[in-house]
Amino acid sequence: MTITPDDKALAGEYVLGVLEGEAKAAVERRVASDADFAREVESWRSRFVAFDDTTEAQAAGDALWRNIESGVSDTTTREPASPSLWSRFWNNLPALRAAALGTSFATLLLAVGLSFALRAAYQQPVMIAVLVDGNRTGAVVQTFADGRVVLLPLTEINVPAGRAIEVWTLPSRERGPVSVGLMNQARTLTLSLKDLPAPKPDQLFELTLEPATGSPTGRPTGPILFKGNTALAL
Amino acid sequence: MTTDSPADSATEAQVAAAIVRCAAGDRAALRVIYDIEAGRMVGVARRMLRRQDLAEEAVQDAFMRLWRSARTFDPAKGAARSWLYTILRNCALTVLRDENRFTADEGIAEEVAPMTENALARLPETSALRRCLERLDPPRRSVVVLAYVHGLSHGELAGKLGVPLGTVKSWVRRSLISLQECMG
Repeated sequence: MTITPDDKALAGEYVLGVLEGEAKAAVERRVASDADFAREVESWRSRFVAFDDTTEAQAAGDALWRNIESGVSDTTTREPASPSLWSRFWNNLPALRAAALGTSFATLLLAVGLSFALRAAYQQPVMIAVLVDGNRTGAVVQTFADGRVVLLPLTEINVPAGRAIEVWTLPSRERGPVSVGLMNQARTLTLSLKDLPAPKPDQLFELTLEPATGSPTGRPTGPILFKGNTALAL
Repeated sequence: MTTDSPADSATEAQVAAAIVRCAAGDRAALRVIYDIEAGRMVGVARRMLRRQDLAEEAVQDAFMRLWRSARTFDPAKGAARSWLYTILRNCALTVLRDENRFTADEGIAEEVAPMTENALARLPETSALRRCLERLDPPRRSVVVLAYVHGLSHGELAGKLGVPLGTVKSWVRRSLISLQECMG
């Protein structure tokens, strides 16, 4: 796509932060699909970043760091999730090694391959649900082999004061929707499904807007923000 | 691409390397970025949000997003620090544009001209951004500076400068076109 002077100004407006709503969303889509336009946006960023560089630094204390650190621990989804399992596997390695030495080099290769496969199994989601509202994607729910279920928001969700986002799942029609998480703003959240059967394919997850302390009835009462069903990850 | 950022290239390289380490799940690298940038990030967020608590909230949110999306950072596509400050600005704008938390009477009481000049005066004399902004008429300079530095929306700019919304929008647009021609 060719870049017109209007496009350059549009990229500048986006970087300034004056675009809102659909205009902003349209620019973001274009940045994702049009490399020339994305370069214009990046040019504007590098022009204006001098303002950020010359800002007077303010105190950023240990309390702020502790909040960040604990937030990050909650959301560490890519590390091998259960070290105990990993270490149990390592403890088995002498056995594998002996086998490899005793038989053939091929066995060793197999062991190495197995370790990668095992590791991947615990890092990659088993099932994914993409939660949407019409054609807008709001979040994904990922379930892992070790039982963790994590919600990752993909968009900003406007939460009015005194309200919160509640996460629900429908383990079965008989049981009805069960609350598995509550948050006051869109963020990565480990969902609590401990008391529920492991999620199955085609299980519904949804986000609704509820009072700040969660739905008073134990069932969704507010508008549905995003919803979707689980599917096996390939 | 021209850049007149005073941050030296060593800092840029340190931050870029730390983001790549974050993508690999290295939490110590996040602390490296915090030590280098957090103070200035709070400063940037505070210029937009004007409250220390909100500024810290935006910085915290920015670090979370950094951690989550470190894999999407591509050094070939842009500088690490501009990537970092883009995330921060988006977080701060999200807080700022949340009408339910931010009411009009918390708005900026300061005058347009000194606010603009304060931000400009901090830029180095040699800065292309400063030189090119100074070539614009004062109100047309202000709309750009106040939008970027203090996060003012079109509507807030119109209110602050006492001109119609359409006028502000066209000032912003034309100022950007002039700036782009001037800075290349």
